[in-house]
Amino acid sequence: MSAVWRAARAGVRRRRVQTFVIGLVVLLSTTTIVVALALLAATSAPFERSFARQAGPHAIAVFDPAVVSPDQWAGLASPGVAAAAGPFSAVTLQPAERVGPGPRGPVTVVGRADPGGPVDRLDLWQGRWPAAPGEIVLNEPVHELFQDPGTITLDGTAYTIVGRAHALSGSADAWMTPAQVTALGPDAVQMLYRFTGDVSTTTAVEARLADATAGLPTGALEAAQPYQVVRDRIAADVAVYVPFLGSFGVLGLVVGIVIVGNVVSGAVVSGYRHIGILKALGFTPRQVVAVYLLMVSVPAAVGCLLGTAAGSFAAQPLLRDGFQGMGLDPGVGVDVWSLLAGLVGVPATVVLAALVPALRAHRLSAAEAISAGSAPRLGRATRVQHRLAGLRVPRAVSLGLGLPFARPGRTAFTVVAVLLGVTTVTFATGLTDTLVRVSAIEERSDGQVAVQPSNGLIRLTPDGVPPPAGPPVTTSRTDAEVSDLLRGLPSAARVAALYRLPVTAVGQTEALDVNFMRGDYATMGLADELTAGRWMAGPGETVVPSELMRERGLALGDRITLRLGGAQRDLTVVGTLMDGPNGPPGILADWAVLDGLDPGRVVPPHEVRYQVQLVDGGDVAAYVRAVQAADPGLDAWDTAQVSDMLLTLVGFSSTLALLLSAVAALGVFNTVMLNVRERRRDLGTLKSIGMTPRQVVTMVLASTLVVGVAGGVLGIPLGMLAHRVIMPATAGASQVALPAAVLSVWQLPTLVLLALAGVVIALLGALVPARGAARLTIASVLHNE
Amino acid sequence: MTTVVRLDNVRKEYGDTTALAGVSLEVRSGEAVAVMGPSGCGKSTLLNMIAGLDRPTSGSVHVHDEDLGRLNETKLALFRRHRIGMIFQFFNLLDDLPALDNVALAAQLTGSRVDTARQRALELLDELGIADRRNVYPAALSGGERQRVAVARALMNRPGLLLADEPTGALDSRAGEQVMDLLLDLNQIGQTLVIVTHDERLATRCASRVVSLADGRVAGERALERA
Repeated sequence: MSAVWRAARAGVRRRRVQTFVIGLVVLLSTTTIVVALALLAATSAPFERSFARQAGPHAIAVFDPAVVSPDQWAGLASPGVAAAAGPFSAVTLQPAERVGPGPRGPVTVVGRADPGGPVDRLDLWQGRWPAAPGEIVLNEPVHELFQDPGTITLDGTAYTIVGRAHALSGSADAWMTPAQVTALGPDAVQMLYRFTGDVSTTTAVEARLADATAGLPTGALEAAQPYQVVRDRIAADVAVYVPFLGSFGVLGLVVGIVIVGNVVSGAVVSGYRHIGILKALGFTPRQVVAVYLLMVSVPAAVGCLLGTAAGSFAAQPLLRDGFQGMGLDPGVGVDVWSLLAGLVGVPATVVLAALVPALRAHRLSAAEAISAGSAPRLGRATRVQHRLAGLRVPRAVSLGLGLPFARPGRTAFTVVAVLLGVTTVTFATGLTDTLVRVSAIEERSDGQVAVQPSNGLIRLTPDGVPPPAGPPVTTSRTDAEVSDLLRGLPSAARVAALYRLPVTAVGQTEALDVNFMRGDYATMGLADELTAGRWMAGPGETVVPSELMRERGLALGDRITLRLGGAQRDLTVVGTLMDGPNGPPGILADWAVLDGLDPGRVVPPHEVRYQVQLVDGGDVAAYVRAVQAADPGLDAWDTAQVSDMLLTLVGFSSTLALLLSAVAALGVFNTVMLNVRERRRDLGTLKSIGMTPRQVVTMVLASTLVVGVAGGVLGIPLGMLAHRVIMPATAGASQVALPAAVLSVWQLPTLVLLALAGVVIALLGALVPARGAARLTIASVLHNE
Repeated sequence: MTTVVRLDNVRKEYGDTTALAGVSLEVRSGEAVAVMGPSGCGKSTLLNMIAGLDRPTSGSVHVHDEDLGRLNETKLALFRRHRIGMIFQFFNLLDDLPALDNVALAAQLTGSRVDTARQRALELLDELGIADRRNVYPAALSGGERQRVAVARALMNRPGLLLADEPTGALDSRAGEQVMDLLLDLNQIGQTLVIVTHDERLATRCASRVVSLADGRVAGERALERA
């Protein structure tokens, strides 16, 4: 066994606490870094990665089987085609009216012998592939929410669902065996292509598809879908999460690196005296450097391994919650680069952080190293201490306040760690508050109870709630009678009716969805959604969701001319809403506008959605029961439910804020521990002249107060800035604007509490070493000196 | 004369090592006792017991009628603060405080106002002849000056008992002489002293009684006639 190894092993044994701290810090930092990088990677081109993993087709081409013969496929030249799959026979079937989730409308069923192949490799995430007639696999992204029935009826025939697979490309709604599709009489043939060369634009993909199908008869190609169609749809969904995950990812990365650097370099600096002794014993400078690298590498290696595993484990639910249902799972996972960063990048950071001070020790003589390790630096710290000595505060406090200035570099790193922890907590707090406010506004504007008369075909229920058993019945009441019924039930305070109708708008290429509203809608909270302008003052005015304003190029003050039948009505845009009533974005107009446009129109009640707000303290469940008892043809439900997105984002921010705060506190713990070790002699002296254990604890905690306050003071504005920038960016990604009220979340009590967050992080980190300092045995400390 | 220090059969063991093997000793008010003996005989351990810096494994230590074994850490700290002044071989001054603040610190820990504490510290430094060095940091003071600062700090709270652990051990002969004179002067104005030393000259010059320790036991005692 070499002397270097023996010395390193002895050092690790002698400094058990520090070794443990290095291991723990590296573990937590690695966990944070792996989670952060996994989030960053997931938000960076998630579609492209999942698409590449599935070898998704750049183009899905649908051909007329009557025009193209099987021989023509075989002889088809394929210039620019990297890989192709097919021809697959396809048939379009009509599903029976279904209750609950599952395909509605025409279902494209493709005959495929297996889910693999050179193109469009499907994720068969549940069950097995069809092997016999009567079996079917549905195309669904991975989910855990629903337990579908085991059969599906298409064109009157029941098929057994034997599995669920997911094709990101959306190349089919379901798959059967090729023989089954042939037996059903295919109405199309599908080819899936991956091309070489430039496929970045729709035009480029279409050009390559044209080259690939040039040998086929004219009219053979019935339809084609470039992959950009799916990519753009998914990108819009994912974009909501990108700013959050990206910002948390960057914060996690920086905190992790700062803490590891601080802890490891601090460990080496505090070991200068030991380095000097090793040199005095005859260790060469290179051997000394090796000893210290080994001493930090042993716990760091363990921390890296465990941290990478923990990070991989911790990132999974975050990624799954963020991306589940978007069609990217199970492709969204911790990528290999994030794991490599944990296993290789963090150890490299550790070695680098240790190497810099170790190389400094390498250059020092034995005597210099010994004195560098024990003598505090004079200069700024002494001047600060002298000034603090004159403060009219307990001496233990003033002594503690001066301690951080003795090691300004170490203190600065610790401040940065606390600062980033506070930034994260601030951002997470603001994010949660904003999301809760958005949710509250939406809940208010939706009414407490939603009522929808049944159309006799399907029943409507809130998300995740199974519909009632039995065939739906319809109401015999008219629209006006339903309104009267709802208004007359106990506890009803306000009732509004909403009728959505696409209406031609003069000068617009597409019809505008118009939400005609009647009743108490003006006082039910929609006005709180205003992001610009004002609420409607009369039937000649409208407010428009921000998404629609952008899509249609509208501005406040613009006039919209609605045309229905032969009549026209002008509406002036006087306000912009966050997103308006549930459903696709539509302008708001008073029901009087509809009456003016089409006076004789009879609106069937099942096309109207009613919103009810109850008197203060009204029992929502009792009201819902009363509606259903009064008229079984009315579906009614409590609208209060926390959205998945709210839960996911609050979950993200809380988890990461907690993790980063823990890492920051650990950074403080390490700094205080090193400071206490370096000041053992001073502590012994202070205790020998009568400093009580409580005064020692006070002094050590006071030393971290500077760090906590500085981190808090600097971290709060950073967190507020992040909130101010990221929230609108996220809203923009969702195509909505936010009302100023949901962004103005910073109240004095909140800011005071956040400022305390830095102090709490610092004090929590310092408490254990402070108590340790209070328990130091004076005799042994002074004797050892 | 009243008894200031009384040790009854004090033992101190560190694992398998016995530092004190049943020491009994009395120090009376106004006495200057030198504890002498070879390295490792238990001198510093004995001093630590009297100062309440360490606790005996068995036996009892009474200082100013206070049974130190019955005091918790906080009460021990308060005991040291008010009853004991300690002088160390290597001074143990705080490097980031100037001389004046090092001395004033002892009073400030008791809650004294900063200006009051500094005034008293300045008086002590003046009495010890180093008032002009009050704003100098320890690193820039000579060994003798540091030890004077340490003595001033030890006297800050007017302790009934001054304990010195090899007070001249780290000083050159001239500085050592100055410190000896200082301790002698203090004793002559009634300050009770317990000095642990190897230095026969220090013992004979300052002490009225010498207690010899060997292998953790009192090997002998002798009274001295001071010049």
